Amino acid sequence: MIDTTRARALAAEAVAFAEEAGAEQSEALVAATNGALTRFAGNRIHQNMQSEDAEISVRAVIGTRIGVASTNRVDPAGLEACARAAAEAARLAPEDPSFPGLPAASPIEHADRVAAATLAFDAEARAIAVGSLIAATAGAGGVAAGGVARDHTVTAVANSLGVGVGMARTSVRATVLATGAAGGTGWASFTGLDASGLDAAAMGAFAAETARLSADPIELDAGSYTVVLAPEAVADIAQFLAWYGCSAKSVEEGRSFMSGKLGQRVTSPLITLVDDALRSSAIGLTFDYEGQPKTRVALIDAGVASTPVTDSYWAARTGTPNTGHALPAPNAMGPLPLDVAIEPGDATRESLIASVKRGVYVTRFHYVNIEDPTRVTLTGMTRNGTFLIENGQLTSPVKDLRFTQPALEALDTTLGVSAQRQLVGDEGAALVPYLLLERFTFTGRTT
Amino acid sequence: MTGVPARTAPTGAGARDAIRREGPHVKQFCEQCLDAAVAAGASYADVRVTDTLTQALSVRNGVVEGVSSGSSFGFGVRVVADGAWGFAASSEVTGESAARIARQAVAIARASATVGARPIVLSPLRAHTDTWTGPCAVDPFSVSTDDKLRVLFDADEAMRAQEGIALTTGSMSFLRERKTFASSEGSFLEQEWVESSAGIACYAIGDGDVVTRSYPNSHGGACYQGGWETITALDLPGNAPRIAEQAVQLLAAPLCPESTTSLILDGSQLALQVHESVGHPTELDRVLGDEAAFAGTSWVVPGDLDTLRYGSPSVTITADATVAGSLGSFGYDDEGVPAKREYLVRDGILTGFLSSRESAAEIGRESSGAMRADGWARTPLVRMTTVSLEPGSAGTLDELIADTGEGVYMETNESWSIDDKRLNFQFGCEIGWEIKGGKRARILRNPVYTGITPEFWGGCDAICSRSEWQVWGLDNCGKGEPMQVAHVAHGAAPARFRDVRIGVGR
Repeated sequence: MIDTTRARALAAEAVAFAEEAGAEQSEALVAATNGALTRFAGNRIHQNMQSEDAEISVRAVIGTRIGVASTNRVDPAGLEACARAAAEAARLAPEDPSFPGLPAASPIEHADRVAAATLAFDAEARAIAVGSLIAATAGAGGVAAGGVARDHTVTAVANSLGVGVGMARTSVRATVLATGAAGGTGWASFTGLDASGLDAAAMGAFAAETARLSADPIELDAGSYTVVLAPEAVADIAQFLAWYGCSAKSVEEGRSFMSGKLGQRVTSPLITLVDDALRSSAIGLTFDYEGQPKTRVALIDAGVASTPVTDSYWAARTGTPNTGHALPAPNAMGPLPLDVAIEPGDATRESLIASVKRGVYVTRFHYVNIEDPTRVTLTGMTRNGTFLIENGQLTSPVKDLRFTQPALEALDTTLGVSAQRQLVGDEGAALVPYLLLERFTFTGRTT
Repeated sequence: MTGVPARTAPTGAGARDAIRREGPHVKQFCEQCLDAAVAAGASYADVRVTDTLTQALSVRNGVVEGVSSGSSFGFGVRVVADGAWGFAASSEVTGESAARIARQAVAIARASATVGARPIVLSPLRAHTDTWTGPCAVDPFSVSTDDKLRVLFDADEAMRAQEGIALTTGSMSFLRERKTFASSEGSFLEQEWVESSAGIACYAIGDGDVVTRSYPNSHGGACYQGGWETITALDLPGNAPRIAEQAVQLLAAPLCPESTTSLILDGSQLALQVHESVGHPTELDRVLGDEAAFAGTSWVVPGDLDTLRYGSPSVTITADATVAGSLGSFGYDDEGVPAKREYLVRDGILTGFLSSRESAAEIGRESSGAMRADGWARTPLVRMTTVSLEPGSAGTLDELIADTGEGVYMETNESWSIDDKRLNFQFGCEIGWEIKGGKRARILRNPVYTGITPEFWGGCDAICSRSEWQVWGLDNCGKGEPMQVAHVAHGAAPARFRDVRIGVGR
């Protein structure tokens, strides 16, 4: 596994090779990964893997012609061949008069996102964690499934205009799905950069207890309900909103809920959706794939459609600042927010539930997809811990429900936001609270 | 032009100085991996060396958005040691790394064995030494970038000629994969194939509404195992005006009303319906619970074999890795099992599973030959091959519509969602038509239908004949952790389903 210094050197070497090959401007992105994942099911480890790779991508510019080449061969001969191929591609590419040129260097905020405990989180340590995740469920006669992943990545970007940045990161993600002896299911997850923050036994116990409570579910009719959504469910909504609607490209092309609505209220004022790679809990890069500093962006600010994210191209095209959200070139998706968060409120999970006379508590959704991008109409199923709320208490487990719901309309009925938040997901993880929504439409159930 | 550049792979980047893919070098490398694994204590080992070259081109609103290519070369070693699995992979393909990665795989397996290990039994397999090559008449990597872009530009121009079209896209992608497999049981297999895909789409955007029409399919178009000849046969420019006209008509069309009615699906949507509600739930690893925490399980259990009514007697579904030109075809799977054709559902009754050597042995069967990995860095999983709804005898689509009287016809997938047991599903299509008096009537916008798997397939009472049947490639099937994307396919002809709930949530 190459380190940050070596990755930056490789990127700089590739830029030099590209200039030798005739590029007028050039950029190189190095991404080295060492990832490991231990998966378990049926109370045993059934898949266990580790892989290592390093890839370099070179973007060459000749006039306004652009070419990119990539390879996972990172020795000098591989770099040179890659740079030559990028320059050759640029010569063959059509002119792009709207190309603003590669961005110049800007100061990057450095963050230490490598944890020693994660680097040491080897197969034996992961197996011990798996044992802890399983214990409570197995002890109660159930079966557990899930995974414990450990990743170490090094990313570096250099360009011929002076950009030269690099960053190493570690991350850990653990999940456990408990299926109780009586058939109920429960779920817990952890995402963070430091393996020492993983409390596998507590996760396992929480999932097992949820499974116990989920046994013998009742059937609930389809219809509109007040809901309390746990962070796993909220993350799905936040990410669909951000990824489909908060890119300058989708806004400009008229495909976003923000198109024509910037400055207008789109949700309850209780909702502020941001992208913030600089927050202390973030696990992503502090620069984008053009080596530009990521900035905090309020996507929805107190209910108002505020600011879509940009990269160098879309900043120039829209005449707005570069927010630092470029993806690796070539990029047909446009800029994307990858560190989204919903700002916290002042409620607690318990107070949100206590305020509901009759409603539904949702632990997580399954297989959510978008049916209408401008209304952000989502459909999906509930999973692993859905409960009826009656008079402020979880009273009965509920058979899984299908929802079909415009996300903005649901968020417009927000009645409460918790102070507690959880980081959910892996790459592109979202930091999100519990939400209390007055109206949420379930359109079917599995009988 | 949107600032997304051309991208190409370095010449010869797929080769390595240390190890060449072809000939005795790669065989020697594989033997080094296997010898090291066995010496470290593996009771079983296999190794895959994979060399992949890709190219993708796209245009958007009349300008080039990207021309890209890339290459990836590496190997992965999978072992059983102490009765448990371990897998390790690297892009460093040298004699030193062969031994290092093999030993690492064994160490990982030994760690696996510390939690709930049970003896791993693999279904029997005879060792094979063989080569296999997929069909390809015209190597797409030999066709010039200009020729490829010309097809996309012509189609793009034809779509933009339609007044009311706000956004147009077109794309092509190509892949060549060379894979060597060797096992400690004595197999040595070399396979090579080419894939080609292409599609166009156009958007009409009105007051708060966005509608899409695409050809020949959504989500990137049609995908084949084959060369440039598969792309020219699509005639993208010739079909562009039709979908552009339909997109504009869609924007002014009424929303699909909510009702329960007879539903006819076109072959491409039916292909995805088969994928989600038959393919995935008959993957034996899901049935046995191995994917419970991520993709989910299945509504069927091993004891349902040969007894469970999955659908009506009209429904027969096969899994076939031998269909020429299909994305789901190969000579051998990634455990070295020869390609097979088997029935999953026959005359409506569940008769088979997609399986691996391990999962098949758990239920006393032999592997169906469905273990496939997404590149060198991933361990193989049970995946689909070509999972097809066999054709019926209902004639052409027009004849089926005429026979239906009243109902709705839907075409081309827009969205999909299904629960973790593959029971409760909801699909959205790009376009629908009311059927009145046995004819297509008005267009319907945002048509959506929902159902429960056995009820839905139980309501299938007519399937069009073989003349309407075709194989639809699908190159975005996600499964497993880390996520693996499989290239699979589904044969289907339009079919009719009774008493389906449509227009949900509108």
